[in-house]
Amino acid sequence: MNALALHGLIAEFDEPGPLLEATRQAYAAGYRRLDAYTPFHVEGVAEALGMRNTGVPIITLICGITGGLAGYGMQYYAAAIHYPLNVGGRPLHSWPAFVPITFELTILFAALGTVIGMLLLNGLPRHNHPVFETPFFEVRNQSHFYLCIESRDPLFDRDGTQDFLLQQKPAHVWEVPA
Amino acid sequence: MQSTAQTCETVSDRLSGLVLKRPLGLAWVGGLAIAFTLLLLLNVAVGWLLMNGVGIWGINQPVAWGFAIVNFVWWIGIGHAGTFISAILLLLHQHWRTSINRFTEAMTLFAVACAGIFPLLHLGRPWVFYFLVPYPDTMRLWPQWRSPLVWDVFAVSTYFTVSLVYWYIGLVPDLATMRDRAKQRWIKIVYGIGALGWRGSAKHWARYEMAYLLLAGLATPLVLSVHSVVSFDFAVAVLPGWHSTIFPPYFVAGAIFSGFAMVLTLLIPVRAAYGLKDIITERHLDLAAKVMLATGLMVALGYASEHWMAWYSDESNEEFVALNRMFGPYWPVWWTTMTCNILIPQALWWRSVRINPVLLFCISILVNVGMWAERYMIVVVSLHRDFLPSSWGKFHGTIWDWSTFIGTIGLFFTLLFLFVRLLPMIPIAEMRKQTVEDEAK
Amino acid sequence: MNTPQPHTPAAVQPREEDEFAPGAAEWPEDFSRRRFLQIMAASLALAGGGACTRLPHGEILPYLRQPESLVPGKPLYFATSMNFGGTAQGLLVRSNEGRPTKIEGNPDHPGSLGRSSVHAQAELLSLYDPARSHTPMKLGHPETWEGWLGEALPRIAHWKEREGAGVRLLIQRIGSPTMRAQLAQFLAKYPKARLHFHDAAFPESPMPARVHHDRVQVVLSLDAELFGHGAAHLSAALAFAKSRLSEEQPGRLYAVECTPTLTGAMADHRRTLAPSALVKYAQALADAVAGRAQPSDEWSAALIRDLQKNPGRSVVVAGHFQPLSVHQAARALNEALGNIGKTIDYTPAAAAELAPATLGELVTAMNHGEVDSLLILGGNPVYDTPADLSFAAALAKIPFSAHHGVYENETAQLCRWHLPESHFLEAWSDAQTLDGAESIGQPLIDPLYPSRSAHELLAMLLEQVPTTGYEIIRAAWQKRHPADDFESFWRKTLHDGVAANAAPAVPAAARESSPNAETPALAGLELILRPDAHILDGRYAENAWLQELPKPFTQLTWENAALISPQTAKALRLEHGKLAELRYRGRTLRAPVWILPGQAENCVTIHLGYGRSRAGTVGTGLGSNAFALQTSDALWGGGGLEVHSLGERHTFATTQSQQYMEGRDPVRLVTPGKTSVATESESTPSLYPAWKYDGPAWGMVIDLSACIGCSACTIACQAENNIPVVGREQVLRRREMHWIRVDRYFDGDAAAPRFLHQPVPCMHCENAPCELVCPVGATVHDHEGLNVMVYNRCVGTRYCSNNCPYKVRRFNFLKYNDTDSPTLKLMRNPNVTVRMRGVMEKCTYCLQRISAARITAEKEQRPIRDGEVVPACAQACPADAIIFGDINDKASRVTALRKSPRHYSLLDDLNTRPRTTYLARLRNPNPEIG
Repeated sequence: MNALALHGLIAEFDEPGPLLEATRQAYAAGYRRLDAYTPFHVEGVAEALGMRNTGVPIITLICGITGGLAGYGMQYYAAAIHYPLNVGGRPLHSWPAFVPITFELTILFAALGTVIGMLLLNGLPRHNHPVFETPFFEVRNQSHFYLCIESRDPLFDRDGTQDFLLQQKPAHVWEVPA
Repeated sequence: MQSTAQTCETVSDRLSGLVLKRPLGLAWVGGLAIAFTLLLLLNVAVGWLLMNGVGIWGINQPVAWGFAIVNFVWWIGIGHAGTFISAILLLLHQHWRTSINRFTEAMTLFAVACAGIFPLLHLGRPWVFYFLVPYPDTMRLWPQWRSPLVWDVFAVSTYFTVSLVYWYIGLVPDLATMRDRAKQRWIKIVYGIGALGWRGSAKHWARYEMAYLLLAGLATPLVLSVHSVVSFDFAVAVLPGWHSTIFPPYFVAGAIFSGFAMVLTLLIPVRAAYGLKDIITERHLDLAAKVMLATGLMVALGYASEHWMAWYSDESNEEFVALNRMFGPYWPVWWTTMTCNILIPQALWWRSVRINPVLLFCISILVNVGMWAERYMIVVVSLHRDFLPSSWGKFHGTIWDWSTFIGTIGLFFTLLFLFVRLLPMIPIAEMRKQTVEDEAK
Repeated sequence: MNTPQPHTPAAVQPREEDEFAPGAAEWPEDFSRRRFLQIMAASLALAGGGACTRLPHGEILPYLRQPESLVPGKPLYFATSMNFGGTAQGLLVRSNEGRPTKIEGNPDHPGSLGRSSVHAQAELLSLYDPARSHTPMKLGHPETWEGWLGEALPRIAHWKEREGAGVRLLIQRIGSPTMRAQLAQFLAKYPKARLHFHDAAFPESPMPARVHHDRVQVVLSLDAELFGHGAAHLSAALAFAKSRLSEEQPGRLYAVECTPTLTGAMADHRRTLAPSALVKYAQALADAVAGRAQPSDEWSAALIRDLQKNPGRSVVVAGHFQPLSVHQAARALNEALGNIGKTIDYTPAAAAELAPATLGELVTAMNHGEVDSLLILGGNPVYDTPADLSFAAALAKIPFSAHHGVYENETAQLCRWHLPESHFLEAWSDAQTLDGAESIGQPLIDPLYPSRSAHELLAMLLEQVPTTGYEIIRAAWQKRHPADDFESFWRKTLHDGVAANAAPAVPAAARESSPNAETPALAGLELILRPDAHILDGRYAENAWLQELPKPFTQLTWENAALISPQTAKALRLEHGKLAELRYRGRTLRAPVWILPGQAENCVTIHLGYGRSRAGTVGTGLGSNAFALQTSDALWGGGGLEVHSLGERHTFATTQSQQYMEGRDPVRLVTPGKTSVATESESTPSLYPAWKYDGPAWGMVIDLSACIGCSACTIACQAENNIPVVGREQVLRRREMHWIRVDRYFDGDAAAPRFLHQPVPCMHCENAPCELVCPVGATVHDHEGLNVMVYNRCVGTRYCSNNCPYKVRRFNFLKYNDTDSPTLKLMRNPNVTVRMRGVMEKCTYCLQRISAARITAEKEQRPIRDGEVVPACAQACPADAIIFGDINDKASRVTALRKSPRHYSLLDDLNTRPRTTYLARLRNPNPEIG
């Protein structure tokens, strides 16, 4: 079969350590279009893949501030501007009473922002992905550790890349059909 | 010494097997049947309520709040333990939490769901509940922001939403596992939808862990705020016995106290039934019991300071409330509260008690009772005798009060029974990591 | 609950047998009555104009010609008058689109002075009561008036030839001059016919007298009910309040009584005595004043000195229920003090010219078969007569008996004929006060059912034309008031409600015949029988407003009880709320025990009017029937009573469980000369700046010195604001709906307590705690500082009620308003929302009246005048204890009163800053007694 029909080549490891090492090597070798698949979060792999920061916290911060301002603004506008009412002789702008809702909305916006932001950055939800075509991936992805070099990578060359991966002493190297 | 891959495999297989392989079993079917019957009772009670109005309950003048509010506060309190375990203990790097957090989060959700029913039902006109929510209104009407009940709406709905999201996000990798391990196609599809196409990419894991951590950070102040806001329902009022600044911390402590009691009430049978004694170990029981002891003492401090202030303030109404609770017509409520919430938990000072499932189970049940009694004392006993002697009265729960309360217990357990058979009650991905790290040591 | 079985004479049974005669199969069933009402709904609805919602069918008819002076939406007021126990209460009735919707006192009428009693207020409900009798009945089968005539006319012919031999009329107290004239004609036409009086609620006093309270300085009441239901209690209450509050010389009131009365509650010095002891005490006083003996004790000595200090300015009043000897003693005292002619006039017995015979004579005649025709005009003798007469049995012997009444009651059931009587708001009549002031009773609405007034019925029996009430009354007046321009006199009287030239009543010698014999001193306890404060002798048993109105001192609703003093109860081992059996002269009665401080020792008081077996849907089978113990020789009780506890528990439907103030001071007391009752916390500082009201700021001041605790405010409010009744079962659950309640407290030791009344409406706090906690803003302040309820915004969290320190908010726990009965729809005040299930409600200061006044003022481009807005409670209050007005207006009455040293606000330390405030109760004790 020919190289263009490939999604990439994938190396399967039994231990997280070798995977991490292999990833570092691949990145050093100049590969950029690569990804690792692990049954749980292995520290360092993402960095080794060249990921500087996750981008999630800033979203949380922005959403939180938005929520807080929206919450207080809504209460102030409603109570003092839009429909002022004398409630129990209290001032229209009784700020201490506005604190709880402001706080709750801050949390709500921040939380939803965090989750939605995280999913979007991850490109999830997603219907399918070529990596699932890897032989035995479905049964082994919860136990084994994978490094995938994608064919989109400029340095990708079917034989060269396969040799490179084999040097990392994986359990297997598979072709991932596109 | 087996390889990481093998370890992961065994963990995944065992935990997913609880749902995918294990036969239902008579206990489960029987339990669900009982819980579901109680749920039907709830339907009857609610139907009758909507037909006739809240007058079918025992509430009156002056006791205009009764079981509905008591149950609301009780359920919300129970919910708190779940968030406490999954969020606060995560931030404190308490790894023992891993094996129980999924279960307790579920407990939180179901408890809050039960709690949420009551503020709706206790309305005189439930069909206009949306008046409490801000929405564009041609009459330019808004909620009244100074009312603690509006704070409640925001606090409780936020709490439910965040808990739900937090719980679901935790589930995603496990749903992927279920998807991949399930045999029948339709089951794969169902779990697959929930898994959002998760494939364990390292970059995903990085963002995922970060988001999970942030959520924990957000849930922590949230859980503290929720019961504080609930306590404002009382603290903001002028009523002697309600009008008190100690309420927020004392309510939060009480919430976690009752929450851990419920956690033990549920975990002890579950670990026995599903043979999880090696995952939910004696250490877990021991630690949970310690938390219970600690929070219980905080609650005791709350009671003490209330009575101290009643005496120290020299405010005749406050003094009267304190005495009326102890020796008034509702004296059994006060004594039950003190026995179950202060006296009995002192047994937890002994490790032998803390690691004895049977004793622990009994104590946790009693604490649940005691905390319900406490809320009854705060709501009903404060209301029934306030400022003007001419308006003093009494309150008794009617059959409908009780049916509604028992009905929600039915709802709670129905959801719980379904949960343990449909979703992995122990977080698989986290357990993989946990086991691998433990073996590395 | 457990209500003792009402006492029913053996002869009440027969009607049940022919129950199943064809066409009568289900007539007592509630259901068929309902259907009957629904059929009638269409015609009623048309009569009631647009106000009646959900018409079954039938087209809407617009006015072809607008009736004169009727502007839709604008109420009209008509003066009329009501016969109440033989005296006139002048009324002013509001009519919306032809429907009477509210009864007020007529300010121009000397009998009411613009005030009104609970009964006058409650008559509105009686008018629209679905349980009223709808059609003539013959032996329990529906009949027609034609049918009645068909049988009556031959009878009348028969009477004429026998000169009325065997014809008897049984009537209650008559207040109507025209009625008296008609009866005289009747006796003239049928010389051998006899007239009998029976009135269980308003007995003929052994010595009828008229007291001029406005001239009195010191009052001694010998078990007299000056302020409760009775002849002139409205004017009495007002006059007493005036003298009590007078700066230079506050009046003083002594009360010696057997069982707590509103009079005793107002007294500066009160002493309780058993009836037999009271008789002796009165005699002793008379002797002491006459110098024949020494005062029995220091208390009496001081009392006598006080009386003697005010010759001609004091008065001794003996109660209607006291035997002749007490009245004689009282008269002797008044003579000795020179009060007669100054503060009290002794008057002739009412309708003496008709030479009425007693009930006893009638029953004897009936039993001897001397009676073949008995006409019962009003009343309910089968129920409300002494048990020893067994009237029912005697009635069964009468071949031709007819009952004329508003309700088809026990008596109607046993008579051959029942004839529906028109309500006084449906019929023409007239009435007279004790002073002889005459007033016309004009109808406000066409009869709702085919009914006739007593005048019309008598005219029928007299074979007279004219036969319509209007013609009868007008003709009679023309005869009595021969004016050259009668037409204008008539019109003016109709308009004012009282005749210009009031015939002065002539003081005359006392009538010495006494219906109340001495109470024979027997061993054991003494029984005291009295009409109930609200449903009287049972005539108002069907009136739900009065049934649910908390009774004085007990706050009991929907039932009566055996009232016993704490010490006596302890001696007899009787417990509060346990059923007991009362044995009295061979008759027994089961009644629950109520331990009442201030009750005389060794006495049991039980109120009449309960245990009705046929009082319609509302009043049947409540409480225990005290008439079962009544004997004709001693109507109001006597010695020889035994009480045994049955141990059975009974739950009382009371609206106030706590009788004492628990060391708090909701009611504050002052004596003349004391400076201030306000506590230092009166002016608590607030974090927030106070709201400014540039328009009027409404406020209310309630003067506890004037309040006699009659509850007229509660009923007036109920009528004005469409407040539903909730029924006994809901009162048991503490869910009564009254917007203004009268709290009652005992003060001091249980042996001789002081009784305190305190009307509590919404306080309309400046810093309202209720508003702060409402999540939807359903209760907020308006631009005049009123705390208003927005019913259609209320979701019913009840948080406001929890946070109300005064607990004045009321919640519709269930659907309390009857929106089905068509007649009740006609009764509603169209300017007040009828609340649905699940919403909170409370006193609004009669917002609708404020807006009405505002609109008028704006039209006339002037500020609202002081006193222009009068809430229903203030308007009804007999003692003028409730004052309402603008506290921003420096000149207003409320502003002045709020500066009084007696002024204080309830629970001031909470800093709620109430708009409703109180004036402390002023006591004027005799310094010699202290």
